Amino acid sequence: MAAKEPPRAMAGARRAKPRGDASDKPSDAYGMNEIRRLAKLLDRYDLSELEVEHLGQRIRLRRERPAGGASNVALVPTTPPLATPQTAGTAPRPEPDGTTLITSPFVGTFYRAPTPEGTPFVEAGQTARKGQVLCIVEAMKLMNEIEADTDCRILDVLVKNGDPVEFGQPLFKITLA
Amino acid sequence: MIHKVLVANRGEIALRVIRACHELGLKTVAVHSQADAEALHVRFADESVCIGPPPATASYLNIAALISAAEITGADAVHPGYGFLAENAEFAEVCERCGLTFVGPQAEMMRLMGDKVRARRTMSEAGVPVLPGSGVVDTEQEIGAAAALIGYPLIIKAVAGGGGRGMKIVDGPGSLLRSWSTARGEAKAAFGNPSVYLERYVERPRHIEIQVIADGQGHVAHLGDRECSIQRRHQKLLEEAPSVALTTAAREALGRIATDAVRAIGYTSAGTLEFLMDTRDGRCYFMEMNTRIQVEHPVTEMVTGIDLMQEQLRIAGGSALSLSQADVQIRGHAIECRINAEDPRSHAPSPGRITALHLPGGFGVRVDSALYSGYTVPPHYDSLIAKLVVHAPTRREAIARMQRVLSEFVVEGICTNRDLFQRILAFEDFAAGRLDTAFLERMERAAASAAEEPSR
Repeated sequence: MAAKEPPRAMAGARRAKPRGDASDKPSDAYGMNEIRRLAKLLDRYDLSELEVEHLGQRIRLRRERPAGGASNVALVPTTPPLATPQTAGTAPRPEPDGTTLITSPFVGTFYRAPTPEGTPFVEAGQTARKGQVLCIVEAMKLMNEIEADTDCRILDVLVKNGDPVEFGQPLFKITLA
Repeated sequence: MIHKVLVANRGEIALRVIRACHELGLKTVAVHSQADAEALHVRFADESVCIGPPPATASYLNIAALISAAEITGADAVHPGYGFLAENAEFAEVCERCGLTFVGPQAEMMRLMGDKVRARRTMSEAGVPVLPGSGVVDTEQEIGAAAALIGYPLIIKAVAGGGGRGMKIVDGPGSLLRSWSTARGEAKAAFGNPSVYLERYVERPRHIEIQVIADGQGHVAHLGDRECSIQRRHQKLLEEAPSVALTTAAREALGRIATDAVRAIGYTSAGTLEFLMDTRDGRCYFMEMNTRIQVEHPVTEMVTGIDLMQEQLRIAGGSALSLSQADVQIRGHAIECRINAEDPRSHAPSPGRITALHLPGGFGVRVDSALYSGYTVPPHYDSLIAKLVVHAPTRREAIARMQRVLSEFVVEGICTNRDLFQRILAFEDFAAGRLDTAFLERMERAAASAAEEPSR
């Protein structure tokens, strides 16, 4: 019998935060009907976790999936405020000044060019097409190419070639084209 | 030699590792998820790296991110703490392959002890008493024959289980086959491996464990015992050292059995042999070996005066054990209470922002915690928020000291299980040392019948 040791693995990493579609029933704020409806959504889209905030109330549904086993839905009411930064790794992060930050999806080393002597993938001032490679983040000897999620203009390259970067660290400042 | 240690954990244990490192002159790297950017271990480490989003699978259990964090910071060792990847053989192997010293036992030792049938057999061959039991039982014929040999009640356990998970108690032959197939289903779902084995079931045992440490250079010592009988659903709540159930001679005997076994299998680093004690005859039987530093290690440190964490780090750096068995003296008595952020009635986790905090102090008091006023306990991880530890010359004085410490412990903004410990310490069975794994149920029953009394 072992000690109570910290966390077993939480549910899968995938998370979805529907913004608009939870607010179509303003009067029924998280009664059982709402919970049933959310549970169905969780199931239909095969999500691991679902979090909805509405009128100051927040509800999170999560299911634990043991390896290969049947899934069960757990209801975890959470009490605000939970000051957890919710920035996803690669998701472009909108800034108050109208620009957007592209952040690193990995811990690793940042490279601006495909080879040590090569020309950088992009320079400040250039535009990039959706799917175009912007940089490489090396993690465990693997060169991970980071692509633009959308057409954009590069305003600034925020990290020097060869510098270490952490998860979620801003790499580029862009405006959406 | 090691110079810079990456701490692959969070909370109080990450802080514990960082403190030991700094006292040894080692540099530290904290890793954290996005939910832990404001955590104390991040603040007190020399460097920190964000390794992923809040869910542990994407951060603290993300081997690639941990190794990358070690690479970009130039760390040369990794301390896993407890939980997360602490007993993951693959992680230990990846560390070694990447030139990082894993502060813990060899990967093959984790594999051996992770397979409960192999662990039982190996320990039995090394002279450690085990309960009558079977190997893996895969067919109905096998289980019938094995059960007849062991007798009832018996317990069905998952080979890949441990920590009290994946177990079924069987009172008689009538329910054997049904329990067996349920247990296999649950084991498959929980551990991805349906294999189970049988063991004689000991009702209401005491839980006693022996702390060992070995340097891989032939030096092995045990640091006495801990009693961890007070549990809820196999989760330890209160631990003490030494156990009142062991005489000095019995402690020495159990310690010698443990060190002989550890030497025989060639184990290196800190480890714990967990035993069940049959309260009817006081006999101890091997249950499992934990191949990590444990949550309750401070009580051992308090009564021996030995810093287990530093010793573990020194051994990982290639040094010989700095002590011999003769240096280990048990002095006085220590108690630890695990304060969890939980609802006192439902035991559901109680995350949230700490609006006011006072940690107890004074003579013979130690608090291992990563809390601070204004800190937000995140909902993503374990609910342990503080370990209150006291040391005193006798058990009676240690109890009085812990009562005083609990009354000084103030945390506002979240709920904790603090009051449960007040009730445990005040319950007459605790003072009398009548401890076993059914202690809490007994206490709740006594409280319920006392509440009914006045109305009669």
